[in-house]
Amino acid sequence: MSIKVFDQTYEALAKALELRTENQTVIASNIANADTPGFQAQELDFEKAMSKALGSGRDVENVEGDIHTQVNNVVREDGNTVDRDAEMVSLAQNQLLYDAAADLVKKKLALLKYSINDGGSH
Amino acid sequence: MDLLSSMRISATGLSAQSTRLETIASNLANAESIGYKRKDPVMVPSTDREAFGEILKDKLDEHAQGVLVSEIHEDESPPQLKYDPSNPHARPDGYVEMPNVNPVIETANMVAAQRAYEANITAINAAKAMAMKALDIGK
Repeated sequence: MSIKVFDQTYEALAKALELRTENQTVIASNIANADTPGFQAQELDFEKAMSKALGSGRDVENVEGDIHTQVNNVVREDGNTVDRDAEMVSLAQNQLLYDAAADLVKKKLALLKYSINDGGSH
Repeated sequence: MDLLSSMRISATGLSAQSTRLETIASNLANAESIGYKRKDPVMVPSTDREAFGEILKDKLDEHAQGVLVSEIHEDESPPQLKYDPSNPHARPDGYVEMPNVNPVIETANMVAAQRAYEANITAINAAKAMAMKALDIGK
């Protein structure tokens, strides 16, 4: 049995951080354009692709988010489809999940450090 | 693709909403100025490559956009008529053409602009907190 110092979980977490950063940009763009006539709200979909890759043991490195126009949104009089409240919720949710992934990376590294130091304090 | 481009996008939102607030202030200040026409900012999604440089990926470029005030539009709706024959600007029939500004609408727009500004601030703060969290990994 080979022992890898950096396992697949790191890759998955790194990918999650990358995609959540991308998602943050998409949400920021929707919020910035909440008053732009004719603007179509966008969304980044990656959770399904991610869990599929993780479930099948494939490399998560190649998982890509799918950016597309949000469907079934209420179209305002000026043609804008941004739902401001929903975007604020997505923003908070995205931030929390980003923080969670960052925390996990930190915890895993702390664990590694702990074993490197033979269980003693550093 | 990084959190900085997200912050840049939110910054375009801030400046567009400030411009909107400025036009509202101008409309309210000139609500009684004879000859003034109500102004309204025209917002368009900004795909300006110069503003974003090569930082955003091509794919994101068309979907994650900032916002830009492309022009200040003059509202061409008819002026409000006020009967005041003693006014030096009165027409021969005694009516004065007052601006087409409705202070109630302007005030409602002002609150909307303020809320939109705050939403962009929240997005910037979220990006900032995420960047700090990422830096925290190394500690």
